[in-house]
Amino acid sequence: MPKLESALISLHALGRPAAGGRITATASLAVTLVYLVAVLSVPLYAPQRIVWLAVYPVVSAEMSGIGFGRVFVKSLWVLPLVALIGMFNPMIDTETAFTVGGVAVSRGWVSFTSIALRGMLAVQAVLVLTLSAGFFDMCDSMRRLGCPRVLVTQMQFTYRYMIVVIEEALGMDRARKSRGFGRKSYPLGMWGRMVGQLFVRSYERAGRIHRAMLSRGFDGTMPTPSSAAPAMNARSWTYLALWTAVIVALRLLNLDFVTPDI
Amino acid sequence: MHMADALVSAPVAITAGVAAATLIVVASRKVAKIRRDDILPLMGVMGAFVFAAQMINFSIPGTGSSGHIIGGVLLAALMGPWAAFITLASVLIIQCLVFADGGLMALGCNLINMGAMSCLVAYPLIYKPIAGGSTSRWKIMAASVAACVVGLEAGALLVTGETELSGITALPASQFLMFMLPIHLAIGVCEGLATGAVLCFVAGYKPDMLYSRAKSDEPVRRSLSRRTKTVLIAFAAVALVLAVSFTWIASSDPDGLEWSISRITGATELAEAVTPATAVMPDYDSTFAGVLGGLIVVALLWGFCSIIFRKRHAKA
Repeated sequence: MPKLESALISLHALGRPAAGGRITATASLAVTLVYLVAVLSVPLYAPQRIVWLAVYPVVSAEMSGIGFGRVFVKSLWVLPLVALIGMFNPMIDTETAFTVGGVAVSRGWVSFTSIALRGMLAVQAVLVLTLSAGFFDMCDSMRRLGCPRVLVTQMQFTYRYMIVVIEEALGMDRARKSRGFGRKSYPLGMWGRMVGQLFVRSYERAGRIHRAMLSRGFDGTMPTPSSAAPAMNARSWTYLALWTAVIVALRLLNLDFVTPDI
Repeated sequence: MHMADALVSAPVAITAGVAAATLIVVASRKVAKIRRDDILPLMGVMGAFVFAAQMINFSIPGTGSSGHIIGGVLLAALMGPWAAFITLASVLIIQCLVFADGGLMALGCNLINMGAMSCLVAYPLIYKPIAGGSTSRWKIMAASVAACVVGLEAGALLVTGETELSGITALPASQFLMFMLPIHLAIGVCEGLATGAVLCFVAGYKPDMLYSRAKSDEPVRRSLSRRTKTVLIAFAAVALVLAVSFTWIASSDPDGLEWSISRITGATELAEAVTPATAVMPDYDSTFAGVLGGLIVVALLWGFCSIIFRKRHAKA
């Protein structure tokens, strides 16, 4: 189960913010939302306008020390998903939009390009947020922004228990492999029992952890460490204001003199 | 079924986001009132469990497509609909924020399509009337399959609606439905069987973990009148028949999609170009879909009979 192992590694790595991230999670979250609204509101037949918005993921990924290359490669997986739905556009919308050197490009291909760009940029923006802010800081800023405590606590519990469940699953998988002598297929009933067993094991371990937490004074919500950063500082306000201005400008300004209108 | 940001427009995303946020606030209030000591660790570990389970993609025989379970019905059967909704919401938010699976703007759509449809619609309307507090393997299986199918089909219906409202794809709604509903019928049956298997294990190992049994001594839980039950089951039956007949329509005319696309575009030679796209549900699947439909009807009948017979037993 390489997928489970890689998830475990991601979970450990993504819990805490990137080393270069000095901007608070609240500011990053707000900028991401502004950016997504900007990207999704670009008309479908104007992909030349979306291209300009690529400035945000490129610059912010480099600024926070993640590196845009890593974000770009990670965002490629969204393409097959987008293509599954988007591929119908070139087939149905065959009206010619423009001709390049005698080759007619249909409106369907224009909108398909638009869909692919939207998909890539939206995923890149979320990846930058995730990799720079860190999960627990993000939970903290969600709580400060008025998200119900029950949900935030539940998210933190799920994140922690995910590691517990994946470790239990990996243990069971190792046991199965080491006693299976290379056998690959098992009857369906055995999988059912294994999943049930995994569930009960994880549940009982979660119960033990919960009792241990109660005995140490857990009152239903995760405490915020006193060393936690403030929701916003001067640097973050500047970051939020500057990016909002840049994104709004890129979205609204007519840059068609550089990239001609289609 | 995770929708990506690329496929929704800003107004649709924001509307769905507001609706989902309202549901989360309501659910949070309901969960805060639950007086069950182990609800927090149970929600946490179940969230993690469903998260791991969603990562396993099983292939759907004969379609060349694959799907993963959603887990809403499983969660609701163990913790009740509201706690299940909060748990599934946390899973979807983590998938979106940590693994960039499903868009951040499309999160509202995803919460409603997957979370609300399975926990707040399929569980109370389908699973509960069929299985109730029973630990009978057959009832649990029948209820799980029926509830998962209805939940997934409702979700698929909403995905289509949201995509069409966003106006991103040029594919007409009716053709998109023909593509979505049969696939999710198959995924629903697989998810139902998986859900049923886990619930049967729990029912045998620790029956008081089932939500309907944990609360069975409270008189409030038994508030559904017989008439309401009948109405709800009729609803479920109609929904299932609709879902199944969609499949039959889709597969009885295997060239339907090609035919309709070529008709819409007015170009007959397009039909050749489109074939790879429609191969998701190829010709030989009519038997497969028929068998699946048959199985569901049998499951439904079983559910019906078991409820009627239980009533008679209770009266006698």
